Amino acid sequence: MLHEMASAAIRTAGLSKDYGAERGLFDLDLQVSAQEVFGYLGPNGAGKTTTIRLLMGMIRPTAGSAYIFGLDCVREAVEVKRRVGYLPGDVPQFGSLRGGEIVAYLGGMRGGVDPRNVRSLAERFDLDLSRRFREYSSGNKQKLAILLAFMHRPDLLILDEPTSGLDPLNQQEFYALLREARDDGATVFLSSHVLSEVEHVSDRVGILRSGKLVKVAELEELKHIRVHRVEVEFAPDEKIPFDRLRALTGVDDLTVNGQRVTCTVHGAFDGLIDALASHAVVDFVSTEPSLEEFFLSFFGEKKRKALPP
Amino acid sequence: MRAVLLGLRLGRWGIVGFSLAGLFLTLVQSIGYYQIAGHTAAERANFGAAIAALQAQFVALFPPALAPETVAGYVQFRAYNPLLILFAVWALASSSGFARGDEERGVGEASLAAGVSRVWLIASRTIAFAIAVTVAAVAAAVGFALGVASGHESVEPQGLIEATALLAAVGLACYSLSLLIAQLVGARLATATAGAFLLALFLINSLSRVFDSLLTLRWLSPFRYYDLSQPLPRGGYFSFGGFVVLLAMAVAASVAASLAIQRRDVGGSVLRLPALERRPTVEPATAAWWRIPVVRDLYELRLGILAWAVGMAVLGTVFVSLTRTIVQALQSIKALLPYLSIFAHEDLYPAVLGYTWFNVAQLLFAAFAITYVARWSAQDTDGRLEMFLSAPVSRAAIVLERMAVLAAGAVIVSAVSGVMLFFVSQQQGINLNVGRLVAASLMLIPFALVFAGAGSLLASWNPRAAAGLLGAFAFASYLDTELGPIFKLPLWLQDLSAFKLFGTPLLSGVDTRNLTLMLLLALAGLGSSILLLQRRDVGA
Repeated sequence: MLHEMASAAIRTAGLSKDYGAERGLFDLDLQVSAQEVFGYLGPNGAGKTTTIRLLMGMIRPTAGSAYIFGLDCVREAVEVKRRVGYLPGDVPQFGSLRGGEIVAYLGGMRGGVDPRNVRSLAERFDLDLSRRFREYSSGNKQKLAILLAFMHRPDLLILDEPTSGLDPLNQQEFYALLREARDDGATVFLSSHVLSEVEHVSDRVGILRSGKLVKVAELEELKHIRVHRVEVEFAPDEKIPFDRLRALTGVDDLTVNGQRVTCTVHGAFDGLIDALASHAVVDFVSTEPSLEEFFLSFFGEKKRKALPP
Repeated sequence: MRAVLLGLRLGRWGIVGFSLAGLFLTLVQSIGYYQIAGHTAAERANFGAAIAALQAQFVALFPPALAPETVAGYVQFRAYNPLLILFAVWALASSSGFARGDEERGVGEASLAAGVSRVWLIASRTIAFAIAVTVAAVAAAVGFALGVASGHESVEPQGLIEATALLAAVGLACYSLSLLIAQLVGARLATATAGAFLLALFLINSLSRVFDSLLTLRWLSPFRYYDLSQPLPRGGYFSFGGFVVLLAMAVAASVAASLAIQRRDVGGSVLRLPALERRPTVEPATAAWWRIPVVRDLYELRLGILAWAVGMAVLGTVFVSLTRTIVQALQSIKALLPYLSIFAHEDLYPAVLGYTWFNVAQLLFAAFAITYVARWSAQDTDGRLEMFLSAPVSRAAIVLERMAVLAAGAVIVSAVSGVMLFFVSQQQGINLNVGRLVAASLMLIPFALVFAGAGSLLASWNPRAAAGLLGAFAFASYLDTELGPIFKLPLWLQDLSAFKLFGTPLLSGVDTRNLTLMLLLALAGLGSSILLLQRRDVGA
């Protein structure tokens, strides 16, 4: 236990930030090991950004404590930040400064930034540092924020919804960068409201709901609890294997409408694919449910009442 | 209609603040009048003569006072003239805040996306400001009426209505003109260009009272049409034509702004400087100053500091040029001769220059500090502070660096304007004591630091309200010097005003006690702001 605590990159105990009206973060007990990629999943307003700001010492906890590499996030904030790379949820506004000037400014504040690393990151994301921040598209602003978080090769990366605004190609590049950082020994704490994203890059996932950590799952476990909505369209004369599909483990909510079958699939697709393999299928669409649907499915929560018109 | 309401909603703090400023200024000046003007006709006549002598020193700023021996004439001179400048500044801040600030925050884009046409966007905000400035002008009228009632006198309703309408009209004209300028130039330059434009219009009119060469240009200035009326005192006059010209100016500038906004991209400008070709790069900036605290901020602020330094130097030059005229005007008042003979002939020039220029310089340095505090607040709300704090620097270091940057900027501006003042006064044959000129110029730095300390405290406590509250603090400090002796406020309360602590260093050198007090006030602000920022949530 002592060894675990010593090697923890992030450790919180009873960490709370109460904004009133049941908003905030409550009693967070969390431990993230060194060199782990920890996905922090939750819908909007669940408390992800609050957790991150507490870890970064931007806000003070109402109760509890947080430590990064054994350093107190409030009392030893400066030391903590020597080892952390931070990507905020909202990219700050740098007005008319050029990209290269912003890097130099923040690099100058931090110290120890290798220009070769900056160059490599900018090349990788095809980011022109000669342009003014005001002229950047939202995607390019996000790329700059990623560069600022990674430029000093930190031991811990705290990233608040890092892929928002990135196109799919740059998302893939970002995932690759994360994996490399982890392979180089970095720990990653990554918040997201996209299930597939955290599943894609994380070793473990913490699920936050209404300010409370409701589940910490290993990647394998997550794969079992994940849910997809599937629509299958069979060829016009094809007989639909309804009974076989209904009998499959993890397949629920089966409905048939003509040659179109819809269902939800929990966990892996193997059984469904096997069942369909000998049939003529003309269309197969799998969509990831929203987090709301995920919570409904996984936690058996009641659907929120619609607001009156 | 919703767009008008949105404009009023977004500008609500301006409406509240400037209405209170208007109410307070006219109220305290009219109450103050009864405290100092005396009660008999003879006492009041003497008082009027003293005000006439005082206004001779400000002829380059404000028109001659009409019937200053009456409460209405006194308030017209002491309250409505400063309110003119105050409302022009409000118009500038509000118009550039709408035209550029809202656009940068996406409010303008959201309004256009919601189906509001560009023409209506301009019209609705102009209408909203017209309502706002009318409310504030009415508040000023209420303050005057209450003040006069405290002296058991009555106001001339027609004059008060005319003064109110005139103040609202000139404010609206300034708003529309600034709005037009903000469409023409890019976001970076909008506020500075519109501010320079309004300042130029103000100076063309006010300096035309001294320099005949400007008489042919003053018809361009909205302030000229304000000067055509002095409706408040009994026997005053109101130029209906001038009032109509102000409204026509506002409408014409709004129409031109509507045409201009249709010809530019959202976020763009009508006039575009040819952009320098820059090769794409993946290299960070390599200049050494980015690694040096304070210097990196000075580099980032270089254009602003340059503008302040040049602007102050030019204004200083104007005031030196005016000094001879002012001294001649003072010497032509026979009643003042015994008083003036107290000064040796050589001392009169520094006395006047010290009184006029360094009074204006104090106001400008207070404004300089307020712009920096507004920048600190913006850093807090736009996420830059959060980004700075993600680097291994303490909150105390951030506060200290901010203050050091402001102090360094103030050193540059005061040095440039001081050197300019020295050379121009030499040219004009005005012999200034070099040591005292240096001391007076340097005193502007602790003066600015007092406001920086107060601003730092406010920015640490509530960044969104800091600039507005610091503006109110500056206003209260200025009133403190004006009203402290009149209302016999305790000395310690008067000493809280940097305007009072600045003293008259050009004439009598630096008062060490006052300098120490200013530094202590600045340090108190600095220390308490560090403590507050360390306890405050950032980015929440």
